[in-house]
Amino acid sequence: MTRQLANATLAILLAAGARAAVPPAPAGAPGKHADDSCIGCHAKLDDVRLRKPAELATADIHHAQGISCAGCHGGDPTSGDPTVAMDPRKGFVGKFAPRAIPEMCGSCHSNAAYMLRYAPNIPTDQLSQYRTSKHGLALAKGATDVAVCSSCHGAHGVRPPSDARSPVYPTRVVDTCARCHADVALMNRYGIKGNEVEEYKKSVHYAALTEKNDLSAPTCKSCHGAHGATPPGVDSVANVCGTCHVSQLERFDLSPHKDAFTAMDQPACEACHSNHAIGHPQDSWIGVADKQVCGACHSAGDAGAVAAATISGALSKAAASEAAVRERVGRVKRAGMLMDAADIKLEEAHQSYVMAEVEIHTVTVARVEKQTQAVLAATSAADKDAAAAEAEIRFRRTGLFVSLAVIAVAMVTLALKIRSMER
Amino acid sequence: MRAANETPAVSRRTALNWLLGTSLGATVAAALYPVFRFVIPPQVAEAPVNRVLAGKLSELPDNSGKIFRFGSKPGILIRTPTGEVRAFSAVCTHLNCTVQYRPDLQHIWCACHNGQYDLQGKNIAGPPPRPLEAYKVDIAGDDLYVTKGA
Amino acid sequence: MRALDKLWQALDERLELDPIVEFVAHKVVPRHRHSWAYYFGGFTMFFFFVQVATGILLLLYYRPTAEAAFESVQFIVTRVPFGWLVRSVHSWSANLMILSAFAHMFSVYFMGSYAKPRELTWWSGFALLGLAMGFGFSGYLLPWNQLSFFATQVGTDMVSKVPFAGAWLLKFLRGGNEVTGATLTRFFGFHVAVLPMLTALLLAGHLAFIQRQGMHVPASLEEEAKKRKPIRFVPNFMLREGVVWLLGLAALAALAAFFPWELGIKADPFSSAPAGIKPEWYFLFMFETLKLLPAHLLGIEGELLGLGAFALGGLVWFLVPVLDRGGRVGRRSRAFLALGWVVLAYIVGFTFASFAGVFK
Repeated sequence: MTRQLANATLAILLAAGARAAVPPAPAGAPGKHADDSCIGCHAKLDDVRLRKPAELATADIHHAQGISCAGCHGGDPTSGDPTVAMDPRKGFVGKFAPRAIPEMCGSCHSNAAYMLRYAPNIPTDQLSQYRTSKHGLALAKGATDVAVCSSCHGAHGVRPPSDARSPVYPTRVVDTCARCHADVALMNRYGIKGNEVEEYKKSVHYAALTEKNDLSAPTCKSCHGAHGATPPGVDSVANVCGTCHVSQLERFDLSPHKDAFTAMDQPACEACHSNHAIGHPQDSWIGVADKQVCGACHSAGDAGAVAAATISGALSKAAASEAAVRERVGRVKRAGMLMDAADIKLEEAHQSYVMAEVEIHTVTVARVEKQTQAVLAATSAADKDAAAAEAEIRFRRTGLFVSLAVIAVAMVTLALKIRSMER
Repeated sequence: MRAANETPAVSRRTALNWLLGTSLGATVAAALYPVFRFVIPPQVAEAPVNRVLAGKLSELPDNSGKIFRFGSKPGILIRTPTGEVRAFSAVCTHLNCTVQYRPDLQHIWCACHNGQYDLQGKNIAGPPPRPLEAYKVDIAGDDLYVTKGA
Repeated sequence: MRALDKLWQALDERLELDPIVEFVAHKVVPRHRHSWAYYFGGFTMFFFFVQVATGILLLLYYRPTAEAAFESVQFIVTRVPFGWLVRSVHSWSANLMILSAFAHMFSVYFMGSYAKPRELTWWSGFALLGLAMGFGFSGYLLPWNQLSFFATQVGTDMVSKVPFAGAWLLKFLRGGNEVTGATLTRFFGFHVAVLPMLTALLLAGHLAFIQRQGMHVPASLEEEAKKRKPIRFVPNFMLREGVVWLLGLAALAALAAFFPWELGIKADPFSSAPAGIKPEWYFLFMFETLKLLPAHLLGIEGELLGLGAFALGGLVWFLVPVLDRGGRVGRRSRAFLALGWVVLAYIVGFTFASFAGVFK
């Protein structure tokens, strides 16, 4: 921050001094790079390591806002002489040590008054959050292989996170995290398995993100936090999931599981749904048999197992009924009948079914059954419509055959008539 | 006279003529029956155009909402705290749940994943990726007509 | 019976119906081994009558606007009693009418019936086929579904290739630069007012020419026709036609009930064109040919060249009565016979190949 301000002041002073020779651009205006020698020289260098930053800089949000290379690296950009321009006495830093980066970025980004001038609405707590993150804590302990700002946002050519080309854009952030978190050897050093991203990519969340291009689908940072990246603790899992899955959390809080899980130190949602590879929940999970989730705590014959069996039975009955009626209505539709009314009823049935699945989180048989009953009521109404439509189709077929028979008789008698006339 | 010289050939001709007349008559009837049925309109005497009577103004107090049917899809009528009436598709843009009006939040809210839309239908919180489709509301006396943009 | 006789007498006194009775009583249809070909004209007319009747019925509910067209057709086929039948019959009958018209045209061509003195009949028939295809093209858009919308876009786009008048024609057809609700309104007007009026006039002429000139017997069959007793038109030939018409009616009923015409999904001008848009089958041979042509041929745009070739081909076909000089004396040149077979083979071949997916 201080360096930034100092540089800005210096630039203005120098510009004022050099007014006679070079007409200066208005101070502080975006795109004021005419007197910036950094990019001019670096763009011509043969060493790609030194040329690349200059090339990337033009796409950089900071550059676009008028903050030149010297804004971070210091030095004197007005001088064409490299020894003057990159004079350490003028604050020039070539390559930043990882530990220096958060502080350097934070020198502006944590300054609310300064940020207000460029982006009045972006938060300014990134650095303080970062210090609480696993990354920041390890960095403070001297680790150099942990993520700093530039690890995720890029060093040169930084773009705002809303830019689809930014490495922290929702569709790209997972792979950005994976650059380190898929490195098993590196992760094992920190007691992390290193398969988390791989697991996450099997999840329904990742499918929503990539297949439906649903940018609101949770990525790594949605649960772990971005700058303050930390795994949620056992007692906060439910709150994290509950930010989106409100209804499920509300039901879970009503259930006897809430206290039981707390007592057993079980992470609420995760106990059944796992953490990274969260698949689409299946009704078949309910029960105490192998590969069914209740079996982790309940065993055959206890009250929980009985309730699970009842809930599972009610759900599968409702699902089967919905599928059967949907199939029948679809068949009738393909035969050319309008099934608007039945569609609405099936829509209602499906809503009730979704609600029944939400009610599972109460683990209360009566609440689930109330919804499955609603499903059955709606499907049976839709089934009646389908039956009526099928009757109509039969009527049409019969009508067709009757009229075809009538026409055939008319044709034959006409032919006979002609024959008898011409004989 | 006729009965006297009736021969098998003649009676066969009579039978043939009768059969011909009857079958042709039946054919004409079979063709005309659908026509007579067709010209009488069904109960709902008009093609459902993109317009529906969604509710009554008097039944929609300030800061409230109401779900109505738009074809086979639900729509939502809302009346803002300042008394304006607006209509949107009630199908959440996240996972197609039906949204509802929350007077306490003064927002449109989806129960499935806590998606929130403001009074213009814009997605402002939670998972919905897009705003709700907005419809046009016409107020005729006490009747609220909703039109889908064509 | 007595009342009918009296009515007849009264009419006869005033209108002198005797010559007409005389004419009808003596009207005959020659009998030979290709007499079956004489039924196609009447068969086509039967489908035309069905089109008029079902078309009028559809008009009771149809609405020709972009907002309501699709919904009104949907309403007809789903809510109106027997609406599905009327709409399906209208669609099927349209196709059978064109098929029957093609059969009529080729049978007339191969029998050489176009030659003098029947040029006018050939020309009016040619125009009627053109009108029928115009009916098909304009009617295809009316349900305002995705497929017809894009097919119309492609089809109308072709006229823009016409030299000089292209831009004007395109605007005239589309009612603007794009296919929009304005196009629908126009096509509806063409379909229910302009084309029926022209068809009625031409059909009256076409029929009058035939009554005036009688049925044509090809030279090769004259011997046979002389030996065999001709069929009296009333009632014998009419009753025979009745059998054929009943067959057409049965075919329509069965097709409409078992293969109801699909409605598709509503046209959305802003969506991208669906895969596999195709015009009606009777335009397929032209459609596929134009697709096969390279973008540029001999320095001219391929499509323009193709359209020019079709225009030229149509002109030759139209002028056959004049070009085929031997035809008027009953000695048709082999070249024109061969031309007929080539054209038939080309149209049938391309149409079937298109359905078989050869051009994908």
